[in-house]
Amino acid sequence: MLKAVNSLGIIFFPAFDWSISPTHPEREERLLYTQDQLKEEGLFDIEGIREYKPGVASVEDVERAHFCFPEVDAVTTRSHLISAGGAITAAKLVMDKVHDRAFALVRPPGHHAMKVVHGSRGFCNINIEAVMIEWLREHYGVRRIAVVDTDCHHGDGTQDIYWHDPDVLFISLHQDGRTLYPGTGFPKECGGPTALGRTINIPLPPGASDEGLLMALDRVVLPILADFQPEIIVNSAGQDNHFSDPITNMNITAQGYAELNRRLAPHLAVLEGGYAIQGALPYVNLGICLAMAGLDSSGVREPGFDPERLRQPRKVTDYIAEVCEIAGGLYFNPPKEPKDGVFADKWFVRRKNIYYDTDEITEAQTEMLRLCGNCRGLLKIESRSTNNPLCLGLEIPFHACDECRDLGYKILEESQLKGEFRYIQFVNKREKEFVRYGF
Amino acid sequence: MLLGIDVGGTHTDAVAVDRNGVAASCKVRTDHADLLVSVRGALENILSRVDRAQVRRLNLSTTLSTNAIVEGRTEEVGVLLIPGPGIDPYNAMLCRHFHVLSGSIDHRGTEVKRLDQAEVAAAVDSCLKADIRVFAVAGKFSTRNPRHENAVRLALCRGEGACARADFLTLGHELGGRLNFPRRTATAFFNGAVWRLYNRFADAVEKTLADLNLGHVKVNVLKADGGTFPLALSRRMPVQSIFSGPAASVMGIIALCDITHDSVILDIGGTTTDIAVFAGGAPLVEQDGIHIGSHPTLVRALKVHSIGIGGDSALTVLNGVVRVGPNRLGPAVAEGGSVPTLVDALNAAGLCALGDAEASRSALAVLARTHGREPEALAKEAVDAAAGSIHAAVREMTAEINDRPVYTIHELLEGRRIVPKKVYVMGGPAEVMKMPLFRKFQLSTEVPPDYAVANAVGAALTRSTWDLELFADTEKNVLFIPSLQHRENIPRTYTLEEAKRDAVRHLLGHLGSLGVVLDSAEAQITRADSFNMVDGLATVGRNIRVKCQVKPGVAFRLTGRA
Ligand SMILES: [Zn+2]
Ligand SMILES: [Zn+2]
Repeated sequence: MLKAVNSLGIIFFPAFDWSISPTHPEREERLLYTQDQLKEEGLFDIEGIREYKPGVASVEDVERAHFCFPEVDAVTTRSHLISAGGAITAAKLVMDKVHDRAFALVRPPGHHAMKVVHGSRGFCNINIEAVMIEWLREHYGVRRIAVVDTDCHHGDGTQDIYWHDPDVLFISLHQDGRTLYPGTGFPKECGGPTALGRTINIPLPPGASDEGLLMALDRVVLPILADFQPEIIVNSAGQDNHFSDPITNMNITAQGYAELNRRLAPHLAVLEGGYAIQGALPYVNLGICLAMAGLDSSGVREPGFDPERLRQPRKVTDYIAEVCEIAGGLYFNPPKEPKDGVFADKWFVRRKNIYYDTDEITEAQTEMLRLCGNCRGLLKIESRSTNNPLCLGLEIPFHACDECRDLGYKILEESQLKGEFRYIQFVNKREKEFVRYGF
Repeated sequence: MLLGIDVGGTHTDAVAVDRNGVAASCKVRTDHADLLVSVRGALENILSRVDRAQVRRLNLSTTLSTNAIVEGRTEEVGVLLIPGPGIDPYNAMLCRHFHVLSGSIDHRGTEVKRLDQAEVAAAVDSCLKADIRVFAVAGKFSTRNPRHENAVRLALCRGEGACARADFLTLGHELGGRLNFPRRTATAFFNGAVWRLYNRFADAVEKTLADLNLGHVKVNVLKADGGTFPLALSRRMPVQSIFSGPAASVMGIIALCDITHDSVILDIGGTTTDIAVFAGGAPLVEQDGIHIGSHPTLVRALKVHSIGIGGDSALTVLNGVVRVGPNRLGPAVAEGGSVPTLVDALNAAGLCALGDAEASRSALAVLARTHGREPEALAKEAVDAAAGSIHAAVREMTAEINDRPVYTIHELLEGRRIVPKKVYVMGGPAEVMKMPLFRKFQLSTEVPPDYAVANAVGAALTRSTWDLELFADTEKNVLFIPSLQHRENIPRTYTLEEAKRDAVRHLLGHLGSLGVVLDSAEAQITRADSFNMVDGLATVGRNIRVKCQVKPGVAFRLTGRA
């Protein structure tokens, strides 16, 4: 009988009673055939592979990762909290050494959800990886974490959340933003002033196949990981790079995904996108599960698999080689200065306009990071949107210095007195204090 | 009058019951060389005390198939598989005559690759050359479309009415609609492996009944899921009769006690204690199916967990700590054994006087002296250790049940935790273990009357059950019930409500054709899902899945009697 080489916990939560709308790609049916495939293969009978039910993330679990306006309950449904809870359950299984690795096969996804949340972007309301990571840091004191996002869309939400965080390395492999939502994710986006080179974007041209994906992995991702030495590697395992996906233009196969996973060897994988729910997801998910468990996945073949038709054109290969050259260099030789903001006194200030395509909300925000030198720095975001008047988010990071902590409380007090903010969310990660005003 | 016979590992228990209670009961030693001798002996004993003209039904639970498998006395089976892509099927290679064929069906029942007829012919020939007469055929997703399995049957039997080239053939999809290809394969294999042996036994049982003037009696066989099925049907599905022993005990408790709360059922035997957990008044069914040997199967079973603690479990003392079980090193000293057991500890603690209680006391005294302990204290500690181990196992089992996966937000929110409120104890040492168990559980603990033959009472009173899965795809205009090999066309407008009605109708119809007449209220829908299937931005159909069962239960209860 089969026995997993790496024991694997799977949190399978298909949310069979939640959808954005009946014909939306992110709907009840999405993980139905994956469930059929995993069951029919007898995956959960393999020694060392076990299925778990998800936990439910709490409001504070979400607030550790996000500023939600007006509040967490207004921008999430139960399914979002369960999806994030599923990711947390996966992390707990690995940290408690119940399993070597864990895969949260949950929906809805989360990697387009940014630091501030007014509603849903790209089918995402809260960033389930970020909620999981912040939970890991608080409960297990994990410090260095790498997120490798292999969804076909740029993981702009995760990038935004960890933009100023030198301890979280974020690498996104995705279809070039000039050809796909959300239109971002270029190499020049490489992190804020305190975390330059800790965000790495590898845009792949349409038509890239397994060869190109693995080339980027070998030439850029693995060397960076070897240098960064993360305690935990997380794979944002989006599967819309598949050649049959209806909303993207890539040529990755189930075999490619499995091989990627085998080489990357993440401790945790969290499902993101993937909308070829009949022809790709069942096979890709099976391949990833087998690869994570260290088992042979060479027999996994999706219908329509034709290596000749999926062969990567030479031109595409050459282009990817160039991208790899640029992206890899940014980690080892990051630019001296960030390009997207200004320094004002001891603060770094960035202005952003964000469009929430799923909920049709526009948001304007001013993000301010205190450049401290002794800690990651106090984070302050002023935000207004078509949903909410001016709001304030204030965050004192883990391992904050006394000065940043005291300043945070001072700004909070002043902001309340002035009364210019409709809602205020204040998170002190150092002393685990969560405060909300305005209800 | 209903008869129940439970052929167990040590004893064969039999009862005759009617609404007034147990009219007659007996225990005879099980003759493993010839189970029929035990069955006949038990029957004759019972019939000498009741009016045989009043007997309407005999329910039989037997370890025949189980033992045959455990002891390797099974027949060689030719296994023909159509696995398609995925996990390497050779990982679950069950036997020598194991053939993997090309062809594949996907999760929606679409043929992705055609079956290779030349390969089928070659595999069949190779088996026939090796004198294989029993076959098992299983295809991945055959429960969504049995086309390839049926084609293999056709190739093997050459379309003739009775299969000329095989004595018996099991097709995977006939085993039910549940997904799990390795389990389907193993289940089909074991069904074939015990088929001949089982049918010989069934022949002998029928002949015995005729000899005893009981030809008019309807015979049912117990399944592990707490139901029975007619003997005629069991001849085709002998694998379903495997491990029905614990189910008999659980059903006995249902017949003897009025269970309404979340409860724990303990059946303390000679070498093991079987633990079952009830949610409300109903026993829980294992989500997947039991393991036969090391092979997981699709054989449905009540959720019963066995631990190695029973009356004959040996006592050991390690670093001053007394342990009970899991080893059995012969009978109790009170019964002529040489190593003190739980029964001896119960004797020495003054809780009972079984066999030679004096011998128990001296054996405990020797053990106590070796470890510098007081005999009575040691005996009490042993009894507490046994109760403690049982208690720990129950807690672990409840935790595992409460941790089982859920698939919808609704289930997660409504997911009621099981919190046992009562303990029911049966089996030989039940009465004497009652207080030690109560002290551990701190829950109301009940030992029913007739506890010693509760398993046979359970066998006698267990009703017939069946379950089926209905699968409908309105884009393909097809409805399929694998276990009935029923396929029909449906309109695009077919709904979940219609599917539920059809599932119940087919379930009751099938049981009716087997002579089991049930009211529609006894059928229970256990799953009903309908998913919109979308292509582009338009809904192209619905994928409907319905599961339906007759709930395990008893014909009537024997509660409220003094
Ligand atoms: Zn995506
Ligand atoms: Zn500071």
